[in-house]
Amino acid sequence: MTTLADRAPALRGPDDPPAEPPRHLRYRRHLHLWSAMRELAGARHIIRTLAERWILVRYKQAVLGIAWVVITPLLYMVAFSLLFQRVAKVDTGGVPYNLFVYVALLPWMLFSSSVGSGTTSLLANIPLLNKVYCPREVFPISFVLAAGVDFAISTAVLGVLFAIYRFPPAATSYWVPVLLAVHLTFTVGVTLILSSLVVYLRDLRQMIPMLLQIGIFATPVAWKYSQLSEAGQVAYAAANPLAPVIDGMRRAVLYGQSPRGAALAVGAAAAAVWLLVGYVIFKRLETGIADVA
Amino acid sequence: MSPDAGAAVQAGAVRAEHIWKRFRPDRQRRRVADRLQVARRFLAGHRRPWTWALRDVGFGLEPGESLGLVGTNGSGKSTLLKILTRVMYPHSGRVRVGGRVGALIEVAAGIHPELTGRENTYLYGTLLGLTRADVTRRFDDIVAFAELERAVDRQVKYYSSGMKMRLGFAVAAYLEPDVLLVDEVLSVGDASFQQRCLDRMREVLAAGTTLIYVSHDLPTVEATCQQGLWLHQGVLQAHGPVREVLDRYRRAVEERIEGTGDHDGPVRLAAVECTGPDGGYVQSNEPVRFTLHLEAQAAASATLHLGICETPGHPILLLRRDLRLPAGATKLECTVESLPLPRGTYSVWMSVSGHQEFHGAGRRARATDLLRWGPVTGLVVAGPELEPAPVGVVRAAPVLARAHWDQQ
Repeated sequence: MTTLADRAPALRGPDDPPAEPPRHLRYRRHLHLWSAMRELAGARHIIRTLAERWILVRYKQAVLGIAWVVITPLLYMVAFSLLFQRVAKVDTGGVPYNLFVYVALLPWMLFSSSVGSGTTSLLANIPLLNKVYCPREVFPISFVLAAGVDFAISTAVLGVLFAIYRFPPAATSYWVPVLLAVHLTFTVGVTLILSSLVVYLRDLRQMIPMLLQIGIFATPVAWKYSQLSEAGQVAYAAANPLAPVIDGMRRAVLYGQSPRGAALAVGAAAAAVWLLVGYVIFKRLETGIADVA
Repeated sequence: MSPDAGAAVQAGAVRAEHIWKRFRPDRQRRRVADRLQVARRFLAGHRRPWTWALRDVGFGLEPGESLGLVGTNGSGKSTLLKILTRVMYPHSGRVRVGGRVGALIEVAAGIHPELTGRENTYLYGTLLGLTRADVTRRFDDIVAFAELERAVDRQVKYYSSGMKMRLGFAVAAYLEPDVLLVDEVLSVGDASFQQRCLDRMREVLAAGTTLIYVSHDLPTVEATCQQGLWLHQGVLQAHGPVREVLDRYRRAVEERIEGTGDHDGPVRLAAVECTGPDGGYVQSNEPVRFTLHLEAQAAASATLHLGICETPGHPILLLRRDLRLPAGATKLECTVESLPLPRGTYSVWMSVSGHQEFHGAGRRARATDLLRWGPVTGLVVAGPELEPAPVGVVRAAPVLARAHWDQQ
């Protein structure tokens, strides 16, 4: 034990400390994927609390409150029905067009609300980030989780639509969890990258809502995946892992077919790469967040 | 749990070694043209220069110790706190903090405006790593301390800033962190709440929590902390027993104020002298004489204030004299019959304000600075130490000190 007096240094001169820190003192943050993931697992309850908080906060002052979760996809569905069914005449193979669109809209809405809100998750919580330490990825992940709750609620509406059209879901619906796993892998990956980038490059915040608007046409929500050739489908799945997922949803829930194997496998692999790369990028950018926030 | 867990320290211990931190200075204008210029320079490899916010700062604390962090604005105190909470990473150096860190860094930070006080408490507790049951157990204490019994289920955005601060402090101080960091925030609360915060900080300290307290209110720092650390422009100037560090800090602040004071005002202080009994050194409960040599450019009726300060600018003993100054030199003597100050180092401050003439009926005379309020000399008082163990000491009670003035 040193005494207090021993610790007190003398008044420092003009060359002490030097102008720059010596190189060997450079702080290096040791990031290991495994220990970072263990730490994230330890922060499970933080993610849960934060997700609850977003859900509570989001609709707190809206007159229609939580009903917006259902209203948004229904409005989209009506818009698509008017636009495409009347104008473009998509052949749905005997499935009511509203169901055809709604089944695809649900996973799309899950993606767009996760990315749309998750991107701002760090920016919106700068006061918290500046105050408490926790693995930063809990913020985007909890936003994705909150979007997942919205997804579950709007899925209940799907049940009502099935009843209205007297069109029961197909037995192959057991594929849905697999499809959702691929979906979430991709969604979390994208959200991690965008949420950390946007802190440094705020211009992204203006661009992302627009990109998401365009993105709906880049995924087979209003059109059929089979409009692409077999090879085209696989190639497209690598670029957009959501395409085989949304197509797979339709096939499994509405047509009683299994998802397209090759396209889904490629999509799953691409999604895994997104997640891995996204996590690494996030962890690297995380170090400087408090400096620029 | 932390990325640096390999070099774990005991819960409550703090180790900071050779901490350096730099920022890019703020951009001034944000027009598109400026942005483009920045981008062009960036591409050409010219970046804005870095400024160092912390340079080679290091200290260590054992569990249960307390450190008062002082320094002028912009000296890097808050940056250091952020690095200790692991919110920010240093550029160079090593930081290890053991256990849970509770921080009260910005008023209302971490407090979400849309959520109620209750929801915020649970949220913050979770972020500190507590379970819901842990928070529930302490919840009533938190609410009672923050005096928010009736507002706890109201959204925080409808709270006053004092309420937000009270909630923030109560949450940080009652969730039993191993290390508690308190930044200059207590100034928002009223006097009685400030007092309770200080009491709570001492309680938490007694319970074995390590405390780091940042404040410009030097007496509370001195009363709360064992150790002091003085930062100036990111460089550690002194670290040691709180009294010594604060003394050095006060002296430095006074010297700087003295350096910036104007000496060419309408009234100039040519010389000042403080003498004890028989011209010897100044002692407690003994007469003391202040001799002031003033030089006025023009005759004026004026009021002279002479103060003895412990904290810069705040006199604990104030003497006042209305006088008529003739043009030219004046010698003024003020004798205090018995100096009611304990042993210690003080500084003497002084000002002369003039009365402007009346301009017609109903107008009030306006005071003008003839000599601005500022330190003029140091004062060392000898005497017995004012801390006899079993007796309480009132350190700031009004005492009338009889003084008489003599003008030549």
